[in-house]
Amino acid sequence: MTSTTSKQSFSARIKRELNKNLLVYVVLIPVIIHFLIFQIYPFALSFYLTFHDWKIIGDPEFVGLKHWKNLFDDEIAWKAIWNTVKFSIYYIVPTMALGLILAVIINSGVKYSGFFKGLFFLPVVTSFVIIAGIWGWLFRGTEDGFINYLIGFVGIDPQLFLSSSSQALLVLAGLSIFKVAGTTMIYYYAGLQSIDRQLYEAARIDGASPWKIFWKVTFPMLKPIHFYVAITTTIGSFQIFDSAFLLTNGGPNYSTTTIVYYLYHQGFTSLNLSYAAVLSYVLFFIILIIALIQRKYIGKDPNYY
Amino acid sequence: MSNTIFKRLGLLFLVLVLSVVMAACSEDETTTTNADTDTDSGSASTDTDSSGLSGEITVWAHPYTDGSTGEGDMWKTFASDFEAETGVKVNFEQIPWANRDQKILTALAAGQGPDVFYVIPDQMPQYAEQQLILDISQYVTDEELSGFVPTAIEATSWKGKQYGMPILQTAESLIYNKDILTELGVDENSLPTTWDEFKALAEKAKAAGYYAFSYAGGGSLNNTLYPFLWQAGGNVIDEDNNILINKPEAVKSFELINEMYTKGWIPQDSVTALDHDSLYLGGKLLAINGSGISVNRLLDEKPFEFVIAPPLKDAEQLTYGTVGMFVGSAISKNPEAAAEFMKYVTNTENQRTFNNITQYIPTRDEAKDIFDSQQYMAQLAGYTEFAKPGVIHPEGRNIMPLVQAEIQAMLEGKQSPQEAADKAAEAIDKLINK
Repeated sequence: MTSTTSKQSFSARIKRELNKNLLVYVVLIPVIIHFLIFQIYPFALSFYLTFHDWKIIGDPEFVGLKHWKNLFDDEIAWKAIWNTVKFSIYYIVPTMALGLILAVIINSGVKYSGFFKGLFFLPVVTSFVIIAGIWGWLFRGTEDGFINYLIGFVGIDPQLFLSSSSQALLVLAGLSIFKVAGTTMIYYYAGLQSIDRQLYEAARIDGASPWKIFWKVTFPMLKPIHFYVAITTTIGSFQIFDSAFLLTNGGPNYSTTTIVYYLYHQGFTSLNLSYAAVLSYVLFFIILIIALIQRKYIGKDPNYY
Repeated sequence: MSNTIFKRLGLLFLVLVLSVVMAACSEDETTTTNADTDTDSGSASTDTDSSGLSGEITVWAHPYTDGSTGEGDMWKTFASDFEAETGVKVNFEQIPWANRDQKILTALAAGQGPDVFYVIPDQMPQYAEQQLILDISQYVTDEELSGFVPTAIEATSWKGKQYGMPILQTAESLIYNKDILTELGVDENSLPTTWDEFKALAEKAKAAGYYAFSYAGGGSLNNTLYPFLWQAGGNVIDEDNNILINKPEAVKSFELINEMYTKGWIPQDSVTALDHDSLYLGGKLLAINGSGISVNRLLDEKPFEFVIAPPLKDAEQLTYGTVGMFVGSAISKNPEAAAEFMKYVTNTENQRTFNNITQYIPTRDEAKDIFDSQQYMAQLAGYTEFAKPGVIHPEGRNIMPLVQAEIQAMLEGKQSPQEAADKAAEAIDKLINK
């Protein structure tokens, strides 16, 4: 009896829902089909792949947990994961900070702010290959490299930069910060524009200094933006690939081999697609866990009114 | 109420059915067109030629020049002449060099892709072991292979089977900046032929404020370690999986590179540099190991006068030179026509055309006459007998990053040449016995 009631109420709910939103579903269907084919299917297939020896032509052979076990003996894979974590540390907070500083500058009503907005955004719209080429040229490890030439004036010895295993990853992080800060600037700029002016007025009446206003009003009010930017830059940082591919080929001695670079190499140079799928799942779980943690701590709406 | 729901559901169903039907229709159309073409060209071929070939093939090649118009016309002529001769229609597609492995592999995995495509000897044994490419031994006679340079045939066969037809070759040799030679007081006719002579010259160049040599440590080992390793009489691995990279003769090459770096003969960024073009073209570097591409660049840009010297010799006189070849796809539906096209495009006449436009070295001695009036290319073409095409092994390309990392650690001063070679051997062993 109870089950019939709940069944009825369920189908009634469906009816009501369809009656209300049928058109929405009709519009959604192509998107869902696209999502199933291009997201869910590859996602599931690559999981299936991890338990097989995938031959490019012919049927895959079931090998159980072989590839997952390989992961635990693979020092380079662990080094790649650690490099990626280090890269994130070098990259996420500086990108957010720089984006915020740039946004504050263009939002401050400075003269020619439109010009600065364009200037700061320029690296975002320029091709990454070009930017990376320029960066590689600037940070050339020889004495006549541009940055080496500049630091020579203040008495610093020439640095190896991309040819040093302790500096290469930092230089690549610098490149990504330069490339992405313009995007975070735009998000923060939108956030700044949406902050209620009255809050500033009230703070000023209370005699707060500009510094205090920034930390007590502006910064907390940007919390949803912080969350969004943190998530996107985190995902971006874990997917970092192109700068290592273009500038260092993962070297010196694997110090810029990131997880995506390593999985690309495993998949498309070594043709070890199953193992590459294992690595991509590792990447997926890392990003998932970090996103969940970020959501717990900075994902809540601001509640300051 | 419920009526509206059913009406709307009906609409939804109708939309779905329509889209499925439309998709099915368009698929039908394509199939029919293909079938039509097949029959057409099939009947045409029986009428016009006696080769017994028919159908069509798809050929993937890459841009071998910097967008010369002659290149496009060349492929059009090859395709139309081949069709006229055999009745087989050639669909030619030019694929950019970037990520070409990825493109070919994804196409093959999807059961599609080209019938004929281009590979170099690094890829060939790997593709052969994965059964991705066609064993063409049955389609090619020994006589047909006899006109090719022996090193080119060696580079296109694996375990006694012929997989590719070589179209081009390169040979790297030392290209010196003549201005620096003059400044150092070195006669261009008495350039170094051995390692010791080269070291002496390098020291001289260093003392005069130049780098002696380029070393792109982030790039392929074919242009960095391997030529020295072969010259010292060493090898990386043999066909029976014996690892040779930490044998005394091979270690000599590690030592040489270490010496060049610590003494400043090669630039400080050699650990990961991808090229030293700007230093070389800027006149700050005495010599590079270069091929025809470098020569043509120097001829075009004329940054300085240059002179080419033969490859160095320690225990042996050897250098790196690749062999470009066309291979057939193992899943080609028209393997005979694919093999025929590979033979056709690599015949003497077509090699003349191809290599004249692209400025690579023909793999047939007969066709090398295209360089009769080109001093430098003729000189490089003469060095192909010394050119080894890399490590011909299914794991050849996977070995490379392992060795590269150990050399980088050596150059950073973290390990000795012997330790680097031992660790490289260990890593190769682990890779092969995985």
